[in-house]
Amino acid sequence: MADFNVNVRGVGSVSVIDVKGYLDAHTAPQLENAFNQLIDGSKYKVVVNFNDLSYISSAGLGVFMAYVETMRENKGDIKFSNMQDGVYNIFDLLGFPMLYEFYKNENEAIEKFKESISK
Amino acid sequence: MQTKDQNSALRNLSALVDFSNVINSSLDIQFAFNNLLLTCLGKFHATRGCILIRGVDNLLNVSSSKGLTQESLNSFPVVKFSDYGSNKEFQAFLKKNRLALTQKIISSDGEIGLLILGERIDGSNYSDDDINFLKTILNIAATAIENARSVEKLKLLNRELDGKVNQLRSLFDLSKEFSGILEKDMIGKLLVFSIIGQLMVSKYAVVICDDVKLEFLENKFQHEKLEPALKDCMPAELKQVLQTDQIINKYSKLFELGVSLIIPMQIKGSTKGLILLGERRSGLKYSETDIEFISSVGSLAIISIENANLFQEAIEKQKLEKDLELARNIQQNLLPNKIPQMKNFEIANINKSAKQVGGDYYDLIKLDENRLLFAIADVSGKGVQAALLMANLQAFLQAVVKQNFPLAEATNLINDLVSGNTTMGSFITFFWGIIDDSNNVLTFVNAGHNPPLLIRKGEITKLKKGGMILGVMETVIPYESETVKLQKDDLLILFTDGITEAMNKNLEEYTDERLEELVKNLEPISAQNTLDEIIDDVNNFTGGAEQSDDITCLVIKNC
Repeated sequence: MADFNVNVRGVGSVSVIDVKGYLDAHTAPQLENAFNQLIDGSKYKVVVNFNDLSYISSAGLGVFMAYVETMRENKGDIKFSNMQDGVYNIFDLLGFPMLYEFYKNENEAIEKFKESISK
Repeated sequence: MQTKDQNSALRNLSALVDFSNVINSSLDIQFAFNNLLLTCLGKFHATRGCILIRGVDNLLNVSSSKGLTQESLNSFPVVKFSDYGSNKEFQAFLKKNRLALTQKIISSDGEIGLLILGERIDGSNYSDDDINFLKTILNIAATAIENARSVEKLKLLNRELDGKVNQLRSLFDLSKEFSGILEKDMIGKLLVFSIIGQLMVSKYAVVICDDVKLEFLENKFQHEKLEPALKDCMPAELKQVLQTDQIINKYSKLFELGVSLIIPMQIKGSTKGLILLGERRSGLKYSETDIEFISSVGSLAIISIENANLFQEAIEKQKLEKDLELARNIQQNLLPNKIPQMKNFEIANINKSAKQVGGDYYDLIKLDENRLLFAIADVSGKGVQAALLMANLQAFLQAVVKQNFPLAEATNLINDLVSGNTTMGSFITFFWGIIDDSNNVLTFVNAGHNPPLLIRKGEITKLKKGGMILGVMETVIPYESETVKLQKDDLLILFTDGITEAMNKNLEEYTDERLEELVKNLEPISAQNTLDEIIDDVNNFTGGAEQSDDITCLVIKNC
């Protein structure tokens, strides 16, 4: 089974989830745990850094669908950054750019959260 | 003059070549539109123009424009390609925006749309030459537009194909994953993740249902409202995919909760669960392909869930079997493990349980040097409940026997004890007796048990004296005992109804008559011989049919 790794770190008031490897039905529950922990800790501003993610399946995408509303209801969001083209194509194919913000790099995404706070 | 015409023709020609080169250099349709418009505006000195392309619905859409304000564009009327010439609103639009010239764009595949140009900046009219030139340009452009459109179509097809590939990959991913999971919750979770990820859905529920209950594996709808609403529509009866229209018509309550697609999960045509989905966040409708996809993952999931259930049941059954095995051992230990020796009596017995734990009971207890107490009983019901009551009876009997009461009085006591310890409807048929080596006397009490047979020289006496079945009520009428002086070669046969009601494959019973007929004519060779003859005859009769009742038989012979 291909490896998957998820790591959560805080950057100011924003939480960054680093995902690595293969995100599929098998590994989706790990990402889910990460989101559950963030919600338990009332952390709703999330940037997912896809720099080291090489594959994502529908089940992986589903995790983002399952949590985005909770985040937004609590004045947060899930934003995506550092996505490889292959991974982005899957998001794009399924229409995700309509619902989510994608950024070239993590800092841009974090900045975006800060902007919305200052507004 | 001629030179001027020639020059003009030459300029036109080179402009056409240029245009042709440029417009065919790209397959981007917007680029083609843009170029066409700019070329026309430049050539004819017009300040505005637009391209209207006919859509699949035959309506004209503004695909590109120059020099028209957004406000004007917003006021573009709904007009069919076929009647643009007579459509008043359309003509008014042209007039208002000072659009003077309309030309059809025609490709080899047919009429694509219209090119519309504004008035010329110097106010002059378009000449015939201009119009001819424009037609030539449009011919070239039409081919380029057609090519670009084909490419767009291909791109779209490609994307659809990518979508299909992606769905297949998800299916494959899931089938691989589901096969390894035996927890229902996990299966439900992966199922919804895959669906909502694939189709961008944020409201969903997965329900497992049978005729009586609903089990929600996942639910993002209002639970307290969804459950009753769903119960009303008898989920196990839903066999078809229900789309929004049908939900609105038939199950408006569900629609009000936001359910816009219901997909049954079936095994062999019967519905075992439902997937309920809200609208897609993209605003798109669920396509046939989407529904196929959801049905496919649903089928995968329900089979895995069924497997998980079966696995759980198997584990529980195994555990139960282990418990029963244990109970069986305990029960076996309650029965006598060896037959006490008597001077004047031979004893043989058999005890076979139909189930792992049974309700038949017999006992042999040496009271003193000369006297042996024997008992046989059949506890109502079967299985664990009967076995427990039997264990009770055994305990009471062992305790009462130690008190050395006369048999009838001891029976009163046993009945009181059993009555006080049974729940409604449980009872025991019971027979016990004492044989005495010193005087060959038998004393017995029969509490509603199938009368044991005393056989003396081919004559049968049924031992009936006693009283009521044990456990129905506390002793009101005392039990009575009877005493019989036994003779040499007398046979005593005690049995439970497992013998007389043994069934063959035609569901016929062995019957008391057949037993009596058999034993009446038996030579009193030995107790074991008599027992063997009985069992052989019963086995011959049943022909190996599986028996539902315990079989117990005790034979005592006076030698």
